[in-house]
Amino acid sequence: MKSIQVFAPALCCNTGVCGVDVDQALVSFSADVDWAKQNGAQIERFNLAQQPMAFADSATVKAFLERSGAEALPLILVDGEVALAGRYPNRTELARWAGIAETVEVKPQGGCCSGSRCG
Amino acid sequence: MKFLDHPPRFLFFTGKGGVGKTSIACATAVLLAGEGRRMLLVSTDPASNVGQVFGLNIGNQITAIPAVPNLYAMEIDPQAAAQAYRDRIVGPVRGVLPESVVKGIEEQLSGACTTEIAAFDEFTALMIDSALTERFDHIIFDTAPTGHTIRLLQLPGAWSGFLEEGKGDASCLGPLAGLEKQRSQYKAAVDALADPLHTRLVLVARAQHATLREAARTHEELAAIGLSQQYLVINGVLPAGEAKQDALAAAICEREQAALSAIPEALKPLPRDQVSLKPFNLVGLDALRQLLDSDTAVTESGNVELPPTLNAPDLSTLVDDIAADGHGLIMLMGKGGVGKTTLAAAVAVELASRGLPVHLTTSDPAAHLAETLEGTLANLTVGRIDPRVETERYRQHVLATKGAQLDAQGRALLEEDLRSPCTEEIAVFQAFSRIIREAGKKFVVMDTAPTGHTLLLLDATGAYHREIVRQMGSTGVHYTTPMMQLQDPKQTKILIVTLAETTPVLEAANLQADLRRASIEPWAWVVNNSIAASAPRSPLLRQRAHNELREIEAVATRHAKRFAVVSLLKNEPVGVDRLLELAEHITEVA
Repeated sequence: MKSIQVFAPALCCNTGVCGVDVDQALVSFSADVDWAKQNGAQIERFNLAQQPMAFADSATVKAFLERSGAEALPLILVDGEVALAGRYPNRTELARWAGIAETVEVKPQGGCCSGSRCG
Repeated sequence: MKFLDHPPRFLFFTGKGGVGKTSIACATAVLLAGEGRRMLLVSTDPASNVGQVFGLNIGNQITAIPAVPNLYAMEIDPQAAAQAYRDRIVGPVRGVLPESVVKGIEEQLSGACTTEIAAFDEFTALMIDSALTERFDHIIFDTAPTGHTIRLLQLPGAWSGFLEEGKGDASCLGPLAGLEKQRSQYKAAVDALADPLHTRLVLVARAQHATLREAARTHEELAAIGLSQQYLVINGVLPAGEAKQDALAAAICEREQAALSAIPEALKPLPRDQVSLKPFNLVGLDALRQLLDSDTAVTESGNVELPPTLNAPDLSTLVDDIAADGHGLIMLMGKGGVGKTTLAAAVAVELASRGLPVHLTTSDPAAHLAETLEGTLANLTVGRIDPRVETERYRQHVLATKGAQLDAQGRALLEEDLRSPCTEEIAVFQAFSRIIREAGKKFVVMDTAPTGHTLLLLDATGAYHREIVRQMGSTGVHYTTPMMQLQDPKQTKILIVTLAETTPVLEAANLQADLRRASIEPWAWVVNNSIAASAPRSPLLRQRAHNELREIEAVATRHAKRFAVVSLLKNEPVGVDRLLELAEHITEVA
């Protein structure tokens, strides 16, 4: 089983509803992560505002932040290698990385990009 | 006093800043200690004067009060607790991650949620049985967590994903991530809160419509999550005897009685007590002992020396400077209940009466003030942002669009996130952004504004817009974000509204610091409802007026670049004439 790590920008809510415009990608992604976990995937989510040490401890993530800044998050690592950056993966991608045979119809991916923030 | 009968182990006092909940909490602790009960008084007021009240330094540990046998106290500074939390999270990555990233994290952790949860974390240690607490019969808190925090702590889904795995899957519980407390400890605290045998909540309000409405809202919110044992205390009611001595006092009495007879339905069934307004400052044991003593006659405090006319600028002078620019955005900011709506209307009417074009936007839920102005002055238009309506619209919109495809569990989590205080800020901000564009041509006066924290977080969008501006610079397309507009003193003037009392002035200073963090410099302060500016005759009011002078002095010398003082009026300032009256000082009539 491959391990998926999601390094997300600073958020106070995982759904991002506190942001200036609710990011459909985040709302959907939260549900997709839930789905993938129930199907046995190994996924860890790290929030920059809550677990910054996880970002600092990974040479890959740290270098990414130095090069591209927090605006370029999220960053997704699969077994430590960069798999995706700048947007959240959709259900199909999660399933592929985790090796889940998809029996559920994959719903379309919503919007992208706007980092939702709150306090 | 009903709220003192058979008190349970935990007593929470809650209410808006300036209603006197800390004083009542202190007085309760002194009274019960006098009955031989072993008391612990916990203050979370950032301006905690508990130490000052008892004449000693208390700080963040349980300290015996020598003058009162059986009484112990401690002061939790929620700002300091939040700072300690931030340091714990950010400290290890400072110098490791890029500076801009670290700054972003710090801003994320500067909101009200972080402060409240950090303070709640400190409470929980006191709410479970331990060697620390077992020697006390009662523990009194001068604050209470909001419904949002408690609901989050009750969410079973939130806990299972969060504290067990420590992975941060639970929405706004975020700030708890760095706190090492055990789930069982939080659960015990939340259970105790919802248990009437353990916990009594005392809502403290004043005999004013706005604070009573606020109390009703808190009551409903906390009752909904199981905090059922609630009492209501109306503090600072002007004794009827004073009414005979001057017209101002008579008018205040009448207004207070009217507010009490129109008390919100939700509050009617609650056991209710009244505490009368005292001429003295609530410092020292004698003062505290008298606070809850309804039999204390108002002592003739002799002739208090007051200047015949307050030596401070009036609102009209301030408006002269505003008018000079011909147009712009004028925003009145401050805590609820300080009179932002009234002052916004007064500023708008002053400007309009000088022939300038003005649009007034109010968030006043009652809206009667705005309605009385509609159509009264040719160049004044009135609009409205109702935060509840905006928030509900926003919430429904998000659920219907972004939440459409979620399952029941996902939807429940999204709904809870949408109850966060941030949601209202965002919803109001969106309404606000629509309106401020008009300020280029005329005056737009608003009685509401987002906090510096919200603005900073939203500036993530601003940065994006600036990038566009840079790219489009050559094409001549002009684009400003709301943030850029607010930072420009030529376009925007922020008036901070406060009352001439300790806690409100401190809250206003915190608001100013918050705005400065967002590079927004408040233009002026307005001290509202000043008795000192009203030339009172009643001895009690004269004493209160005297106490105000020190606060007005602090605003003038320490806080404000420029300021004005607005007097407490005999009549509710409704309608153009009375609003114009508000802008000038009252002089003592012989």
